[in-house]
Amino acid sequence: MSGNSTRDTQWPRFELFQQEQPGKPHVNVGSVHAPDGEMALLNGRDVFVRRPECHNLWAVPARQILARTAMELAADDGWLDVPVPPDAAPQLYRIFQKTTQRRSMNYVTHVGDLEARTAEEALKLAQRRFAAADVFVWWIVPAAAILVSDEDQVESLFRPARDKTYRQPQAYRTLSQMQEIKRTTPT
Amino acid sequence: MSEAAQLQQFEERIARGEKIEPGDWMPEKYRQQLIRMISQHAHSEIVGMLPEGAWITRAPNLRRKMVLLAKVQDEAGHGQYLYHAAETLGISREEMIDALLEGRAKYASVFNYPTLNWADNAIIGWLVDGAAIKNQTMLARCSYGPYSRAMVRICAEESFHMKQGKEMVIQYAQGTPLQRQMVQDALNRWWWPTLMMFGLPDSESYNSPQLIRWGIKTRTNDELRQEFVNELVPELSALDLAVPDPELRYDEESGNWIYGPIDWDEFWQVVKGNGPCNEERLRARRQAHEDGRWVREAMLAYAEKQEAGLVV
Repeated sequence: MSGNSTRDTQWPRFELFQQEQPGKPHVNVGSVHAPDGEMALLNGRDVFVRRPECHNLWAVPARQILARTAMELAADDGWLDVPVPPDAAPQLYRIFQKTTQRRSMNYVTHVGDLEARTAEEALKLAQRRFAAADVFVWWIVPAAAILVSDEDQVESLFRPARDKTYRQPQAYRTLSQMQEIKRTTPT
Repeated sequence: MSEAAQLQQFEERIARGEKIEPGDWMPEKYRQQLIRMISQHAHSEIVGMLPEGAWITRAPNLRRKMVLLAKVQDEAGHGQYLYHAAETLGISREEMIDALLEGRAKYASVFNYPTLNWADNAIIGWLVDGAAIKNQTMLARCSYGPYSRAMVRICAEESFHMKQGKEMVIQYAQGTPLQRQMVQDALNRWWWPTLMMFGLPDSESYNSPQLIRWGIKTRTNDELRQEFVNELVPELSALDLAVPDPELRYDEESGNWIYGPIDWDEFWQVVKGNGPCNEERLRARRQAHEDGRWVREAMLAYAEKQEAGLVV
């Protein structure tokens, strides 16, 4: 029997971001485990794109993401004092937010990018640049850590879901079938 | 901030309808209850692939085969959504999978009953998935963000599971006497295990009050069970199928279909491992885990070579 020590299935966790159509923002749909980024994208496709619509997927190792809820930021502002290493070069960070408490299958949404030397600095800048009435959650993701699905694989990876109409509830006429049966059956 | 003040703030947030997210403060009991519920739910999705999965190769036609394959694939995905939701609470998927494979974990006892013929898939789709949707629709309103999101995603997908089953039951009910007999037999065997899926009666469900106060559940077991029975009985009777409950009666005053006593001794027997298929289900899971080992090893070896720059 596989014990906890074997690390048999506990591969690194990757967060997945799905873009439904070109021009729409990437949104976090959930996570998968995978031994590498390539497998993370494939697992992500199997787990999150069994149905349309998807144009592009991003996978990011979870440990590379700076995630902070509004509660965490209010409770502890120690992150503001995280020093910037003297040799830290500016790099691009992608900024994600959760701004609603409405019921949803998705979590944070990509709102824009900025350059900073550390993730904490990026968060500080983002709070000004992407200020919104209610930001419940911030995710700061280094752009260099994002694995992107190939544009030329859109057809083979994501389009087949469109033809699998039997996965959609609209493909079944059970409601009208039952209405018809009840109408024609003497009670 | 003191623990009492944190608890007060936490309960106020839930009362306002805010979601609790990973990283937010939460009482230890809330975290433990959620790990218990979400991991059991994840295991149920994974074990739930088995009763129907056995019929994929014996589907009566290509359409039914594609539909069943898609449904079972969905259950695998649902298990992953849920393991990942539980992981945000500080348990690892591997710990949960180990608990399942070693027989320490619970899962929905309904999956310990056998699927004897194709009509069972029809009844499972309509009744078992229908009952699961009732529970999951409630849980989509759960106060814990990751569980709620997993449930919203799952409900959107389960709707097709229920409808494909119902479509088949309708077809059987309008078929030959032998086909009608097949689906009636399946209904007779699955009706009571389905009602047990909603859990113990409210009078004996000790976890419920706190789960409701913390917005994990928003309705009770008996409420959901009654709503399910009220919806199913008129539909089954329109199809001229008999509910296997001699005491079933309509109560004018409440508008409820009152069902007879549920055999909770049977429920506990199955939960304790003495159901018709408990051993078979665990054996199949362990076998699948062993059969997949070489794939996991190959994936890891490839990742390591890639890391070392040995992949060209």
